[in-house]
Amino acid sequence: MKMDYLLVLILAVCLSGAIGLSRQLGQHRTDIADAHAQEQLYLNGRSARRMTLAFNGLAADWYWMRSLQYVGRKIVKYEDDHSGQFGLVDFSSLDLQMLAPLLDVTTTLDPQFIAAYEYGAVILPEVNPEQAISLLEKGIAANPNSWRLHQHLGYIYWQRHDYARASAVYEAGAKLPGVPPWMAAMAARMKAEGGSRTAAREMYEHLRESSGDPSVQQMVEHQLARLDALDELDALRQILESFKQRNRRCVTSWREVNGEVRRFKLDDTGAPVDASDAPYRLINDGCDVDFDPKSKVSR
Amino acid sequence: MFGQTLAIARNTFREAVRDRVLYNLILFALLLIGSAIFIGELSAGQETKIVVDLGLSAMLLFGAFIAIFVGVGLVYKEIERRTLYAILSKPIGRGQFLLGKYLGLNLTLLLNIVVMGIGVMAALVYTRRAWDPLAVKIWPAILLIYLELLILTAVALLFSSFSSPALSALLSFFVFVIGHFSTDLKALSDSASSATTRWLFRALYYVLPNFSNFSAITPTAHGINPGTRVVAGAVLYAVLYAGVLLSGAALIFRGRNFK
Repeated sequence: MKMDYLLVLILAVCLSGAIGLSRQLGQHRTDIADAHAQEQLYLNGRSARRMTLAFNGLAADWYWMRSLQYVGRKIVKYEDDHSGQFGLVDFSSLDLQMLAPLLDVTTTLDPQFIAAYEYGAVILPEVNPEQAISLLEKGIAANPNSWRLHQHLGYIYWQRHDYARASAVYEAGAKLPGVPPWMAAMAARMKAEGGSRTAAREMYEHLRESSGDPSVQQMVEHQLARLDALDELDALRQILESFKQRNRRCVTSWREVNGEVRRFKLDDTGAPVDASDAPYRLINDGCDVDFDPKSKVSR
Repeated sequence: MFGQTLAIARNTFREAVRDRVLYNLILFALLLIGSAIFIGELSAGQETKIVVDLGLSAMLLFGAFIAIFVGVGLVYKEIERRTLYAILSKPIGRGQFLLGKYLGLNLTLLLNIVVMGIGVMAALVYTRRAWDPLAVKIWPAILLIYLELLILTAVALLFSSFSSPALSALLSFFVFVIGHFSTDLKALSDSASSATTRWLFRALYYVLPNFSNFSAITPTAHGINPGTRVVAGAVLYAVLYAGVLLSGAALIFRGRNFK
């Protein structure tokens, strides 16, 4: 009986010691993980493909999840450092140097992994547009019938204001089998009015329709909210301008134009608010309007 | 004559089915397939791809373990227990004995593959919470995995006909690895500057089993099936290659002195 108690005691002491030690080691491991986060990959895609024998698909899944976790960890770190929520819009602030090599290995291991190309198409343009273009071109070469990859590549060129190339990519994509008719229309719109807000809205709406990726959906929602906010700013500017013409002065507060701004979403003070519920701010002594500094809508 | 071979095959199957190690391997493979459901949740919309990749890879890996570790023990156990003498004292040829053993293990592998295949199907349906067409599309890839295992079993049997189980297992594993590097052997042959090296690599490319003929896991995970011609070619290749290995094993086994 005494022996049993002794064994239970040893078990409890050793278990507590192991838990305590594990916590200590875990804290230390976080530092190591941070240090290793920016290390170069040991294997390039071709070597990884050779070494994984028939299990290249499984290895691609592993690299894919590693890419997701890499971005996820960066977002968590950003939110910890900036004590706020990351809006999935400005990826350049995350320092995602390893994302392109990770996605390159993923897609070399499994060239048909469309989700990996799409993920790169959404995030990489803000990190390194050249790498994003190269990833998408690799994807199109491996999957020549994927119109969605053409759509994403066109989007990257459009973001770079290279409307001629965007149009050419949309045009090439529009010739593929099973492509939705709007691809051809987008090619024409890119050529005619690539820089317009209407083209941008159309671009994002088609991206939202065609992609099932939650990160793409979230990015599109942010961009559409930005376009809505820009439209609202234009409409508010018109209201301020007509008030100025009528009264030969600018407004002192939103209450003076409450009749006209009633069609917008208003806060308790009667000021129109944007999608993030931040009030639009009167500037230049009430002659102009801009985003509130606290607004979460991207500019 | 074929009845005697079938009797050995039946007994080998029964013996393998009674083996606990085999159950452990199948259970572990099924657990791995089941875990794919949870791993898939971390994959941002790629759940079914991960279930197929992990499920079929587990099938190949554990199938290879069974083919190698059970395969190398097939003949050795009979010699060790001295039951081989009792069998060979009957009007059964040594080649027939080997063929019976081979067919018995293949039957065991078929059962395992079917059980694991149903496991992957169930995991797919559970992941989608509905019927998934991939649950049917995975079967051509499963057939190719089975064909690869048929060759691997024959490789294990060939080595075990003249070597110890440990060495046979090691050599069979090497063949499994090299068989997946066959395209590299061809590339090495094409890029070699010396004619001898070129010839050597080219010979290795053709003589060693080319397992890339059976690799269809990755495209299957995207719903892309190997064509009928690919599958038919793979079936023919597996039959021919297994024929070569079994003939070699029978030749060696016939020449062995068990006294």
